[in-house]
Amino acid sequence: MKSRLKQWRIGLSFVLPAVALMAVFIVYPAVKTLILSFFDAQGNWVGLKNFITFLSHFDTLDLSRFPSKGPPWGSLINNSIWIIIHLPTTVILGIVFAVLLNNIKGGAFIKSVIFLGMVIPMVVGGVIIRFLFDENSGIIPLVMRFLGNEALGRSWTAYPQTALMALILGSILLWTGFSLTMHAAGLSTIPKELYEAADVDGAGILRKLFSITIPMLAPVTSVVIAMTLLYEIKIFDIVYTATLGGPGGSSMVLSLQMYFYAFRKLDANMASAVATVLTLFTLAVGIWLVRRNMKGEI
Amino acid sequence: MKKMTVLIVCMLFAVSGLYATGIQEGTEAKPTVTISVPWAGAELDQFLPVLKAFEAKENVKVKYLTYRGEDLSSILPAQFEAKQSLADIIFIWDWWVKKNPQYAIDLTSLWAPQKSAFIPSPAKAGGKVVSVPYVMVAKPGFWYRKSFFSANGLKVPGTWLEFTLLLKKIGSISGIKNPIVTGNGVGWPISDVTEHFLIAFGGADLQNDLINKKVKWTDPRVKKVFTNYLVPLLVANAFSDPVEWTQAIELWWGGDYGLYFMGNWITGMVKDASDLGVFSLPGAKALVTGQDWAFIPKYSDNVDLAKKLLSFMLSKEGQTIRAKSGGKLVIRNDVSSSLYPKADQAVAAVVAKMETTVTDLDDSIGGDWQRLFWDQLKLLWVSPTSLDDVLRKLQSELPK
Repeated sequence: MKSRLKQWRIGLSFVLPAVALMAVFIVYPAVKTLILSFFDAQGNWVGLKNFITFLSHFDTLDLSRFPSKGPPWGSLINNSIWIIIHLPTTVILGIVFAVLLNNIKGGAFIKSVIFLGMVIPMVVGGVIIRFLFDENSGIIPLVMRFLGNEALGRSWTAYPQTALMALILGSILLWTGFSLTMHAAGLSTIPKELYEAADVDGAGILRKLFSITIPMLAPVTSVVIAMTLLYEIKIFDIVYTATLGGPGGSSMVLSLQMYFYAFRKLDANMASAVATVLTLFTLAVGIWLVRRNMKGEI
Repeated sequence: MKKMTVLIVCMLFAVSGLYATGIQEGTEAKPTVTISVPWAGAELDQFLPVLKAFEAKENVKVKYLTYRGEDLSSILPAQFEAKQSLADIIFIWDWWVKKNPQYAIDLTSLWAPQKSAFIPSPAKAGGKVVSVPYVMVAKPGFWYRKSFFSANGLKVPGTWLEFTLLLKKIGSISGIKNPIVTGNGVGWPISDVTEHFLIAFGGADLQNDLINKKVKWTDPRVKKVFTNYLVPLLVANAFSDPVEWTQAIELWWGGDYGLYFMGNWITGMVKDASDLGVFSLPGAKALVTGQDWAFIPKYSDNVDLAKKLLSFMLSKEGQTIRAKSGGKLVIRNDVSSSLYPKADQAVAAVVAKMETTVTDLDDSIGGDWQRLFWDQLKLLWVSPTSLDDVLRKLQSELPK
């Protein structure tokens, strides 16, 4: 009994510093943010007013335009579009590249080049995206003009119809390296015997891909999906440097809106409301990930 | 051998002692004052002689940092909450300081004794001077290369019709992408050109009434300026798509575009300022002038020295040095405009020709509305049919 208590004490001494730091730097600010979101600048209780104001603002959701008219549609739609396009593309590209570049000559070099996107700071990535899609200096509009598509041969970030797409495509370029690296690491853990057995059974490449590789990579894919979702929900830096959410709010995202409330409007309460909504979204992803982990699927 | 060793050790001691004395004398720490400015490159180069003169005069060291207002607005609140400041003098918008006067020290004693010599007024909050203007910028109109105009037989327009014909003529010149290049960045170059149209065709009163919220953005007078003048030019592709504003200077100077609407700081950013010409929209009787504002934060470690430096910057001596560098107009009425370089003298002449000057619209309103204004105009530039939507949003988001 005594030794058990001693073990507890030792364990506690290891855990306490981390818990104390988390309490001060994570729990307290999170609780304070939550509290702030229910008050106004004068400290008066306003209930859900901040949330209603935020959700009914045209920068959040412009139902007068969505879906009948073109963008701007609001940050909720923009973040959703980001997830719908970016998530499957980066995950699938990561798997495809990992499989294609597995055990081939020069594969490691190509993987390193693709991974470079992850090494570049996202703020720099935003600047790269701006120039990549710029009419005067960008390669994408140049290629489009060469292909005879004048509509896409102009600055993508200047037009509401293409600004968000430029950011998403640029982000795919930057983020695919993460998915590729994770899946490449996952591939190395699949027992070779499974493929040998499949060969004996006469399975083709596609059969092996869908019956062995992808199912065996599922735990890795779950982590990639969760991390990518979190990245997409919280996306900020590349939008800030490439478009500032414009033109006309057509590439506005939730995190940037929170930033504008906090540092342009100097309204900490509204910013807290957006932060709370963002936390709820990220929490949902976190809970899904933890549940899968507890079930032993990861 | 022993004697030799002792001698060497003694010599080493002596040498190191001398060296140490030398270090102490040579690096006697000078008092240091830090200033955060919004300028970089050529704009910063124009300002540095002022700092050099102050360093020589006071035998102090001035450390400078470059921070944009956009970045400072997110850094300063946290710093000030921690009772820290990144600099002893900080340049940021006056509206920001007026909104946060608790962080600024009172500069009344610095401003009041010389106030009759200053052209603009300081920023006040709660009866104290919280921020002071240092230099003025003017947005005189459309810049052109004299060599480009003479090579193509172009003339400065005297009427709106002549202006539209000039744009058509420029548009037809081989190699020209659009007659006017649109500067982009966070969006201020587009707001500058828009304000010029509002003032030229709506008058200085319209600009002032919009600043003071006496006129709505959806008012027919405002809409008329857009629908009759600006939007037709946008529809006719007289303006280019927004191009990053410093890149736009290169492209315009290189002959991709004919005209560029910009403030007078452009004079320090081109290869040959003597080739610059500028004209306002025909009929314009006023133009926008703005100021770069500085304040001394409460948490400066060096308030006295900071006051000394700011006082020098505002003095006749400091302003004279600044005038000679060009790129900005000084704020004192006792500094002769003949001190400016040639291109800046032309700007001063355009300013003098106007009946009045008005303050920058979005700088005056500030806050998140300023960001919205820039962003909505960027939308209007590529989607002129969204005018009603843009004006409605600008009105609905105006701070109370």
